[in-house]
Amino acid sequence: MSVSRRNFIKGVIAGGAVASSGAYLFRGNAPLFGQTSAPGSVERLITLRINGQARRVDVMKQETLAMTLRYKLGLTGTKLGCDRAECGACTVLVDDVPHYSCSVLTHTIRGRSVVTIEGLASPDGTLHPVQQAVVDEQGFQCAFCMPGFVMAAVGFFKTEPNPTREQLAHGISGNLCRCQDYDKILTSLMRGGEYLRNA
Amino acid sequence: MADKLVGQNYIPVDLVAKVTGKARYAEDFRADGMLFTKLLVSPMPHARVRNIDMSAALAMPGVKAIITADDLPMLPNNAERALTNEPLYVGEPILAVAAVDELTAAEAIERILVDLEPLPFVVDPLQSLRPGGNNPRTNGNAWGAPPPNTPPGTPAPLETMKWTEQDFNDEDAGHLPMGKALEEWAFGDLEAGFTNAALVLDETFTVQSTGHHPMETRSAMAYWQNGKLYIHASTQSVAQTQPAIARWCGLEPSQVVLICEYTGGGFGSKGGGAVSMSIPAILSKKANAPVMMRISREEESFIGRARTNMSGRARIGFAKDGRITALDLFIVQDTGAYGPLGDHRSAGLAASLIYQPPAMRWRAVNMMTNTPPRTQQRSPGPMQANGIIEPVMSKAARQLGIDQVEIRSINSPSGKALFGPAGPTGQRPHITSAFIKEALARGAEQFNWPMRKARSGQRKGSKIRGVGVTVGPHGAGSIGWDSLMTIRPDGKLYVQSGVGNLGTHSLIDLARVAADELAMPWQKVEVIWGDTSKGLPWTCLSVGSQTTHAMTRANHAGANDAKRKLQEIAARDLGGSPDDYELGNERVYRRGAPGRGLTYAQAATRAIELGGKYDGHELPMDINPMTRGSATRLAGLGLMGVAKDNYPRDGVTYSFVIGFAEVEVDVETGHVTLVDYLGVGDVGTVVNPRSLLAQIKGGSCLGIAHALFQKSVVDPKYGHSLARRFHYSKPLTILDIPATMNASALDMADPETPVGARGVGEPPVGAGYGSVMNAISDALGDDIFRRAPVTADLILMSLEHGRPMHDPLRAHV
Amino acid sequence: MAVIRDVMPAFELFQPASVSDAQALLKRYGGEAWLLAGGLDSFDWLKDRIKRPAAVIDLSGIADLKGIKPWGDGGLEIGAMTTLTEIVRHPVVRERYSILLEAAESAASPQIRNQGTVGGNVTQDTRCWYYRAGWSCYRAGGNICYADTPQAINREHAILEADRCVAVNPSDTAPALIALDAQMVIRTGAGEQVIAAEDYFVGPGTDITRMTVLKPGSLLTSIRIPGTWAASAEGSGGAGRVQFYFEKIRDRNVWDFALVSVASAMATTGTTIDRIRLVVNGVAARPLRLAAVEDLVRGKPRNEATAVIAGNLAIEGAQPLTFNGYKVPLMRNLVKRAIRGVEDVDWTS
Repeated sequence: MSVSRRNFIKGVIAGGAVASSGAYLFRGNAPLFGQTSAPGSVERLITLRINGQARRVDVMKQETLAMTLRYKLGLTGTKLGCDRAECGACTVLVDDVPHYSCSVLTHTIRGRSVVTIEGLASPDGTLHPVQQAVVDEQGFQCAFCMPGFVMAAVGFFKTEPNPTREQLAHGISGNLCRCQDYDKILTSLMRGGEYLRNA
Repeated sequence: MADKLVGQNYIPVDLVAKVTGKARYAEDFRADGMLFTKLLVSPMPHARVRNIDMSAALAMPGVKAIITADDLPMLPNNAERALTNEPLYVGEPILAVAAVDELTAAEAIERILVDLEPLPFVVDPLQSLRPGGNNPRTNGNAWGAPPPNTPPGTPAPLETMKWTEQDFNDEDAGHLPMGKALEEWAFGDLEAGFTNAALVLDETFTVQSTGHHPMETRSAMAYWQNGKLYIHASTQSVAQTQPAIARWCGLEPSQVVLICEYTGGGFGSKGGGAVSMSIPAILSKKANAPVMMRISREEESFIGRARTNMSGRARIGFAKDGRITALDLFIVQDTGAYGPLGDHRSAGLAASLIYQPPAMRWRAVNMMTNTPPRTQQRSPGPMQANGIIEPVMSKAARQLGIDQVEIRSINSPSGKALFGPAGPTGQRPHITSAFIKEALARGAEQFNWPMRKARSGQRKGSKIRGVGVTVGPHGAGSIGWDSLMTIRPDGKLYVQSGVGNLGTHSLIDLARVAADELAMPWQKVEVIWGDTSKGLPWTCLSVGSQTTHAMTRANHAGANDAKRKLQEIAARDLGGSPDDYELGNERVYRRGAPGRGLTYAQAATRAIELGGKYDGHELPMDINPMTRGSATRLAGLGLMGVAKDNYPRDGVTYSFVIGFAEVEVDVETGHVTLVDYLGVGDVGTVVNPRSLLAQIKGGSCLGIAHALFQKSVVDPKYGHSLARRFHYSKPLTILDIPATMNASALDMADPETPVGARGVGEPPVGAGYGSVMNAISDALGDDIFRRAPVTADLILMSLEHGRPMHDPLRAHV
Repeated sequence: MAVIRDVMPAFELFQPASVSDAQALLKRYGGEAWLLAGGLDSFDWLKDRIKRPAAVIDLSGIADLKGIKPWGDGGLEIGAMTTLTEIVRHPVVRERYSILLEAAESAASPQIRNQGTVGGNVTQDTRCWYYRAGWSCYRAGGNICYADTPQAINREHAILEADRCVAVNPSDTAPALIALDAQMVIRTGAGEQVIAAEDYFVGPGTDITRMTVLKPGSLLTSIRIPGTWAASAEGSGGAGRVQFYFEKIRDRNVWDFALVSVASAMATTGTTIDRIRLVVNGVAARPLRLAAVEDLVRGKPRNEATAVIAGNLAIEGAQPLTFNGYKVPLMRNLVKRAIRGVEDVDWTS
């Protein structure tokens, strides 16, 4: 029986930076809870492509991408608002497509490219056009939802770079804000689209 | 001198951290050896813990500690604690397990045997009021009024209130039964008011409960170091939460270091922190390791607080011209498993203010039920008052043939309007200012009210349009808080801010007031916030729309203290009297001789040399001990501005937002579409225009969601919350409002505060709520709904049967 | 055992590359296996710790289950693991089966549509909030329905075909697929089985623990849409003009399932209804094809009078619970609209 092992990244792992299996969440005594692998099931130690880097990480079978990002890779910009695909705070891009990282098993995105809020700005700190627009328009308030909205918008602009206000509202409608000035959020993200087109 | 900063937009300093994901909220912190906790919560709405067998859990490798209510200090007046041995609602935490990871903690909880003795319970306040109805607690079902002539903060007594069968006679007609009230006040001649009325309406309305549900749940991480508790948590008010945590944990405030630079929303539910913060704190001590408590969305629906639901009955008399002649308001409030504060009193006061009845009686019972605890939610009370009374106002306007804007204008307060009952001196209190008539007029013009009104009630195909307007009020500012700032030898102004960072930017706006007073360029101002070890002044709770008003006053005072010290140092070194010196170009200089002066950097160095009051070694007597401690820590760093707000204020500060809404109702499906919305603020001087308009629109949206679908649901037979997460509780999405919403503000200064600014956070909620419901009833006619949210089921059933078909009085449906 | 939520229990995870590998795993783990499509229904069950499979079989690596390709005479075959977004963006769906586009686009939220699959959408479990809270009701193997007590809060529940259980089917695409006369291709241990979409769904009278005919060991592999009901202008294909109607009524315009939804495919010549398939969802445990209404209106003019009798017939036998009486007029009105359409209104004049 063949089990797919899609596109393991064969890149060099910088400095042997294997995210510790003893890190934070899910570091329980493996044999205790049936974490030994049955024949043919997935390998726990996998390579992920996050924000353009190959990251080697020990991932539990039931671990969601949001948990891997937040607790194994230190990428806490991805927020958990509901953990149930009901708010969008955890939105990241998987192969350029917005996904709720709370509802994706990390093992299912091996070999695919993940971009989080931390991966948008340039290494020199220059903000992504959508980020710059959010700053210029002061788009959000408490901003707990902001990373998810920004990722959803960045993903949406890849398929519709020049949307109307209504189209963009639909595109980012899978994101909840409780401070709820959606009007200003939309204004700032429309500005983001404008910056992107002029970039 | 450059233009003032107050009144201008700016880019808040924290935005880049937020937009890059670098801003760290409570659950974003990590510590070496950090454990995780999970909570065992009550499966019963009311029970007593007889026994807990945790032996199997403790025997598991990886389980480090378990705490129960017995590990927490008792609190005065039997106040709510984070864990309990007598759960009063489904979801109330009973114990907490710390383990090496969440999976282990969860597996451990499944191995714990909790022996619970079920106790009688009730989830509906009216059911508890019935003869023989269950009580939510073994010793009562209602909160009484604090005894007369007791100091503020005196706890309300627990009472048992039962009404008679006769009291419920009205119930079948859909009227709220009105038995004996536990609280009551009145003013004016009520009977004469009704006798002289041309129209008297008597209507019942039920305002729903909704969870606060900030995007960030009340997760917290705690550890101990050198006998001090360090806690990363989520609060609306950093300065005020430090002593609260100390109280919940049995510590002195000086033993607590609270770090909270970013708060993912609160809406009142994290006003002074959350009692659940004591769980990781105490557990961390017991386990001798850092503990992270991640609160799930479902747990947030249990412990995360909710708005008090209330059924209200309003009997209102109107003169022919629409003027109110008398208002008789009865409220049955459900404050859930704890309390006692409730929103019933603020609802009564708000009603007396915005509708200005010459005679009014307010009666209320503040009931407990075995449902999740309530606390103040954005516009607590005034929003419910809008809900209960606005349908009556709309109906009266239709029956009397008066325009909806006009009837609200003629009944609205202006200037130093009176409200509420007479106090101990025999005088009724009054507000500081109101410009509602101006705001209504401006809004009617901006919204093109006459055009929209003309099509209100018109049907095209299956769709009917409707328009509505509502004045949302709320108290908008406290007084008497402290300010703390230093000008340091680097020439910069450092403003200490004890406000929580909810993204309203009031925490930064207050520093702009100080910068204006000191003529300090904004790029030379640093705001220090979010960490009690950094020296924060005693600051108001960031709740109830008070921060902007309260802390612009305080910082006006603190900046003027610094200004005086600059002038005194200059006079001492350069001659003349302090009043001969003025500020500009980052210098204090002799009037008419700009070359003769000191730079701020020089003055700061001189202040340190002089010591005493100049650099914080001598402090005013009237500041709070917290400010004193913080100032002492900062003493010697530069020239210190430190003061209590002692500015006079004649009246109580209130703000107002007017909501204008147009809806389209599809009578075949019952679906309501909000077509357009405008919010107009009468909120004093505009400090930060973009943030202000965001508050008006965001607050309105919360009210709009309450009008359209947001709710809590509890099964009465089993006492379980059913709408636990977002999916079932239905907060507003971006597609439920028009793609463009509008807001504006009068920008008329309040005369009773030096900066002229009043608060804005709460008033738009009632404006959004009332205006959308009024628009629905203007489209469909009277008596379609008697409760909120006004969902398709209510509309279709009423249209189908020609009368309201839903039980208006049942809670939590 | 104390209840604890929001921590997924440990399980084995398999990522087979072929349907036959998936079947081998299903056979190996039997009732302990859980098929994972997009996961948006599954993760709720798993995070609530109510379902505790030993093995989760992730179907996302099986290329054969993905994509949309031509099938039969002008039809389409849609792999069960095709996402709703792929369906929404597919040019042939847009041109010929817009009712499926509308239905898919009305589901949940953009991110859910990016990940959620059509197979998952039609196979998902009911969202009855008593059942989903883990209560031991009929559907969960117990002997009570918590949603059908005099005090129960059942605004979202069934008005038709209730049999002990009053839950409803939540799928948005199901009524559109039934209206298009789609066929479901199922792989069982015994081989491939093809059944009509309307027979894929089962009510509590047939099997109270399942929403579909799928038994352990079986999986849905694709959905075939025949050319018969492709949208067309009058004259093309000789059988009149085919038009669609889809409408979903919900509280919030994002995330919410339908209170009631309706889907119809109708062929008309002039104003006469030649052929019609009419389906409602949100009113029973399975999407209901309204065959009697179809029979009634066939040959009648497409107008208000026909719509009224259709609506009235549709709700015959409806038995509302305490809080869902509104579904009766709502279903009636949606059926009316499906027959006669809805007028676009303009308020600027």
